[in-house]
Amino acid sequence: MNLRFAAGRLLALFRNRRLDGELEDEILAHLEMAELNAIATGLSPEEARREARSSFGGIEQMKENHRDHRSVRWAENLLRDLRYGMASLARDPGFGAVTIGLLALGIGANTAMFTIVDAVLLRPLPFPEPERMVRLWEAPTPGHHNNTTTFTFLDWKRQDTIFDALSAEEPVSAAVTTGADPVRLSGKLVSADYFNVFGVKARIGRTFALGEDQPGATPVVVLSYSLWQTRFGGDPGVLKRDFVLDGESHRIIGVLPAGSFDRDEARFWKPLIFASIQLNRNQHWLQVVGRLRSGVSIEQARARMSGLRASLGAVIPQKKLGFAVDPFAQLLVGDTLRRSIYLAFGAVLLVLLIACANVANLVLAKGATRRKEMALRAALGAGRGRLIGQLLTETLVLCFLGGIAGIAVAYLLLRGAAPLVAASLPFTADLSAGSSMDLRVLGFAALVVMAVLVLTGLLPSLQTSFGKLSSSLNQAARGSSASSAAVRRTIVIGEVAASVVLICGAALLFKSLAKLQQVDAGVRIDHVITMSTDLPSTAYPTPESATTFYEAVVERLRSAPGVEQAALSLDLPLQGARWGEWISLAGVKEALLVRVKMVDPWYFATLQIPVESGRGFEKRDRAGAPPVMVINQEAARFLSSKFDMANPILRVVGIHLPGYGPIPESPVTVQIVGVIRNERTGGLHAPEEPVAYVPLAQVPRQDVSLVVRTGSEPLAAMSGIREAVRQIDPHLPLGEVRTMEQVKERSILWAKQPTWVIGAFAGVAALMAALGLYGVLAHAVTEQRREIGIRMALGARPADVVSHTLRSALSLLVVGLAVGLAGAFALTRVLKGLLFEVSALDPVALALACVLMTLVGILAAWIPASRAARVDPMTVLRDEG
Amino acid sequence: MSENKTDVPYGTLDLLILKTLDTMGPMHGYRIARRIEQVAENLLRLNQGSIYPALIRLEEQGWIRTQWGVSETKRKVKFYSLTRAGAKQLNVEVANWERATALVARFLEAEP
Repeated sequence: MNLRFAAGRLLALFRNRRLDGELEDEILAHLEMAELNAIATGLSPEEARREARSSFGGIEQMKENHRDHRSVRWAENLLRDLRYGMASLARDPGFGAVTIGLLALGIGANTAMFTIVDAVLLRPLPFPEPERMVRLWEAPTPGHHNNTTTFTFLDWKRQDTIFDALSAEEPVSAAVTTGADPVRLSGKLVSADYFNVFGVKARIGRTFALGEDQPGATPVVVLSYSLWQTRFGGDPGVLKRDFVLDGESHRIIGVLPAGSFDRDEARFWKPLIFASIQLNRNQHWLQVVGRLRSGVSIEQARARMSGLRASLGAVIPQKKLGFAVDPFAQLLVGDTLRRSIYLAFGAVLLVLLIACANVANLVLAKGATRRKEMALRAALGAGRGRLIGQLLTETLVLCFLGGIAGIAVAYLLLRGAAPLVAASLPFTADLSAGSSMDLRVLGFAALVVMAVLVLTGLLPSLQTSFGKLSSSLNQAARGSSASSAAVRRTIVIGEVAASVVLICGAALLFKSLAKLQQVDAGVRIDHVITMSTDLPSTAYPTPESATTFYEAVVERLRSAPGVEQAALSLDLPLQGARWGEWISLAGVKEALLVRVKMVDPWYFATLQIPVESGRGFEKRDRAGAPPVMVINQEAARFLSSKFDMANPILRVVGIHLPGYGPIPESPVTVQIVGVIRNERTGGLHAPEEPVAYVPLAQVPRQDVSLVVRTGSEPLAAMSGIREAVRQIDPHLPLGEVRTMEQVKERSILWAKQPTWVIGAFAGVAALMAALGLYGVLAHAVTEQRREIGIRMALGARPADVVSHTLRSALSLLVVGLAVGLAGAFALTRVLKGLLFEVSALDPVALALACVLMTLVGILAAWIPASRAARVDPMTVLRDEG
Repeated sequence: MSENKTDVPYGTLDLLILKTLDTMGPMHGYRIARRIEQVAENLLRLNQGSIYPALIRLEEQGWIRTQWGVSETKRKVKFYSLTRAGAKQLNVEVANWERATALVARFLEAEP
């Protein structure tokens, strides 16, 4: 009935207008009937009207009264409760601050996390009709993806019944000499259709026109908004200026709008013009993005592409090779990232639950002390609905303030975290607090506040006002109420359990991270600095010119101040080896897939990779000399186990090696001259791969990395290194300057970020659970002062009292731990993919989590326990006896 | 108006309305007011308008319900009738009233 009553009131608020009209009609009818009646008794019409009005009483006053009753009292009650809520907050600022702080933390963390989830996973891509955007691959075997060849790409491009636009993209970097310092910038070579795929128009100027990606076209370039701002100061006349890339002048035809393309690595886009030598079906080098014709579903596209594949059977010899079409969005977010985000979201929800539990507990504790007040109000005639309403309104005030503070917390968290996590997120995810915290996010925050209100408000309200109020009027003076205490204990057990789940997860992740960090990279990490460069074809047109540069730069670097060793390599350790090739043996049908790295003669020494047998590279292994190869132990193991080659030294194998610049790979016969110890080519978590090293002088590359070992702090040597390179080539910029430590850090970022996030949440959760435990025990001690006093009067020692309180804390902890462990077991599946060489049921980590939680719990129990021990029996018994 | 009319005793208007509806069945506001006045035989000074807030209050409590009907003057008016909860409430109010009058009566009869 209470509900109906409240609902009626609420409806009345919205129906006011109509009700006023209805009342008006009713009064009119009443007056008419009264008039008729009066006329019937013999009065004149005027007198009858007067009589009718006077016996009705004040019409306006009555309406006012009626309206009051209908709505104002409802609003008045609400206002009074709000004022009362505010007042009781002001009376107890400690309670208010703790509650609002807890809620702000919980709501803020959730809102921030939701913003990330929304930006990365929920929001449609920031391009028109993103569902039409696709990526196209060759699938050497079903489920595998590979880049495609120029000819195959051109075959795809002719399918204009499937695609509106299709573009290849190829990352490049180029030296920019426009402006003061030469810098190296990342860019992309793309087909003229590229921006049609994304549906992006230039902010100023235009994007590429048809034909600008054909041989002989004028060199043009499109800039990103951020490059326009930083390099050209946002000059509106930029279209009249030239942009010198690798010494070649390019006409700037357009600047992209600000947004997604500023978060891409690329800063400029140039048309991808195929050299005649690239026109083949051997080099799998192109990544392809496309936009489906409107009305073409991805399934239809797949079907037509496999039709196309079948028709190309004659020119593509690999029987199993198929064509794959995937939604563009699908590949933006990797599995690990998705899993990490869900995990963090789950963790932050648990934190919110614990915060709610804490607040509910605080409200309950407060409610217990207010039972007398409630009982008095009930005795004076306040209905239960009214009491619940009052308590809910007080909680509403808390939740509302907590929500406001939470949005502020979310804003701060996002501003702090966005730069740290941005690198791990796809370029389409916009985390800038201004644009990502929109109505959706605020709506989510409001939902969370409402959920929190229900969680924290309803239970304590029911608990407080449905208790036997009349009896509590008598009992309240004496204190304890068993049912409320039981509810609060249950809540604390829940808090401990939820914290244990989080701490277990964090412990497992930290153990996994520690294992990952202990992995031997196989190379010397300390005092090594690396940087990348890319020799422009204009200045280094021939392999000889490149080789001359390599030797000169290493020579010069080694005499630079603070430098001990210097070397060049195609790829750095831990960053993944880009090149893969098959090693074939004469007379053997099978081949061995290896990673290929081009390195100079000083590479192994600089990174201190020992040569296990044979020799490393020497200066004599130059172009024209017999081609040689060094393999790692893993490759040697494969050769001996699979190909029965016990000693690979001096054996001759066949391999395809790329030419200089755009020249495609060609078969070469090389002699294996040495075996070196494994270095980690992929990430620390990746298994060892077989690697083949070939001399950079024999297989020269333009995009190489410099590796420099220094005597002291590596970054301090950078100016000397830059100067040394400048002496060789004043126009050659150095990019991606990183110490090997940083390279290592980056390679484990995927594991590190979720670990620290979950760790932080687990810490917060444990503290909150401790706070909850403290609250319950402190309350219990206050309520049991009399009992404790009597026990002490009867001879209990302080130590007994302390152990009594600690025992009750422990009983809560143990139950919480058991429930939490069960929860952790149930959730192990979630963690599996993120753990490295640690079982999701690792006993050490789980035990550590339990010990930690117990310690925190006992610490929280210690304060009330020692307070209990200080109870003076005389005072207590005299006070309340 | 004569001086010996009395106001509706505080808090009893609800009781009067419920009882009226109980005996007379569904009726509209004016008839309720007239009926109360008739039963009181001019002993009562009733502001007829004051029954409307009381009717709304009773409806909100769920003790009476309303239906639209047509008055003698062919106007659309609300007809009020007692609900089951209202019938119960009437018993409660009657009992309360009897207890209260009995109590007061005992005081008045009490000898020094």
